[in-house]
Amino acid sequence: MRNHLHKLATTAVAALLAVRTFASSAAPDWLEETFYRSGKINTVIAVVTVVLLGLAFWMFRSDRRLARLEKRMNERHKA
Amino acid sequence: MKSGWWKALGVLLLLYVVIVGLRTPLAPALVHLSEDKLPPGRNEVVVAGYNTRFTADAPQAWLQNDAQFVCATAATAERDDRLRVVFDVPDGLRRDLSHLVVRSNGRTLVFHDAFWNPAKGAGIANAGCAPPVEDTAGPFEFPDRSVLYETIRNLFFHVPMWFTMMWLMTLSLLHSIRTLRNNDLEHDRAAVSAVSTGLLFAFLGLITGSLWARNTWGTWWTSDPQLNGAAAVTLIYLAYLVLRGSVNEFDKRSRLAAIYNIFAYALMIVFFLVLPRLTDSLHPGKGGNPAFSQYDLDHHLRTVFYPAVAGWVLVGTWLYTLRRRARRIEAWLDEEPSA
Repeated sequence: MRNHLHKLATTAVAALLAVRTFASSAAPDWLEETFYRSGKINTVIAVVTVVLLGLAFWMFRSDRRLARLEKRMNERHKA
Repeated sequence: MKSGWWKALGVLLLLYVVIVGLRTPLAPALVHLSEDKLPPGRNEVVVAGYNTRFTADAPQAWLQNDAQFVCATAATAERDDRLRVVFDVPDGLRRDLSHLVVRSNGRTLVFHDAFWNPAKGAGIANAGCAPPVEDTAGPFEFPDRSVLYETIRNLFFHVPMWFTMMWLMTLSLLHSIRTLRNNDLEHDRAAVSAVSTGLLFAFLGLITGSLWARNTWGTWWTSDPQLNGAAAVTLIYLAYLVLRGSVNEFDKRSRLAAIYNIFAYALMIVFFLVLPRLTDSLHPGKGGNPAFSQYDLDHHLRTVFYPAVAGWVLVGTWLYTLRRRARRIEAWLDEEPSA
């Protein structure tokens, strides 16, 4: 568990740093093209997608957590 | 189901937000001009519109400089979103900047401070081409803000992430205080569940904000007090989880974490609500940039924004209770004493 949290924290820090370095590089044209067309509606789609993916990630993690609990419960039941 | 009404309400609110928030059209607006300077004499300007229907009627156009009007000598709709306007600009307009006003399909569209006026003077006789017309109440639509365009809809998906995060952190704070008062591990579990759920929303807030910034401010991240504050708060709460993970005795862990949590909350308030207001910030609502003023949030946006906040808070609370219940069973299986 501890290891897992450490990993999570390290990943988060790395991601934030990556975001910072990104800011200094030149903007990729294809992205601008894709996002600026049609009144930037694609930005909204991307944002909604991120939110839904985040919720899905949470659901999967909860699912795994419950599965682990079920397993432990079953083991205890057998013992 | 009886006790779960608020979960259903949360889902219904978000359903409403998705449907109305994504389907409501943007109000027509003037978004781009071919010129930014109008010297005296004949000038031709191409005006780009968004969601406009210039060809549907004969649009009228005029310049407004202070209380003086300069009528367009011609306004030709080339496309629904493109209007070619010709001005015979006189000498001596009073102000440096003129607004461009276009009346089309019974609506007045204004491009504020559209043109710089190089030949300032004592003023001109009013041409009288611009009758002040009150717009009748428009249909239900969102305002078109410069650089935002359709991304104004992100208001319902980015901002409530932070509201929900702050709500969950507040819950966590209350449970931490109760943990310190009566050493009840149930409250400790509630506190950590609220923080980890809050962190989900913090990360969603960071990512959605970054995407939004890229497509409006032109950068994924910028050294702005609000943005850096949000990142700092996220790291502070991540450290809360790391701190918990590093203490094995549950008794010590619960008290230590509770004390840390109180400090984390205080820092969150400082980073979110105090610091960004003390300095300049790009972010709306901070450093003198309005967010909740009439200017930024009109009542059409509000009718979707408030349900969005309520919906996300309810769904966030739901996720938190699920996590808390799982932790409770986990603790029972671990045979932790639960007071």
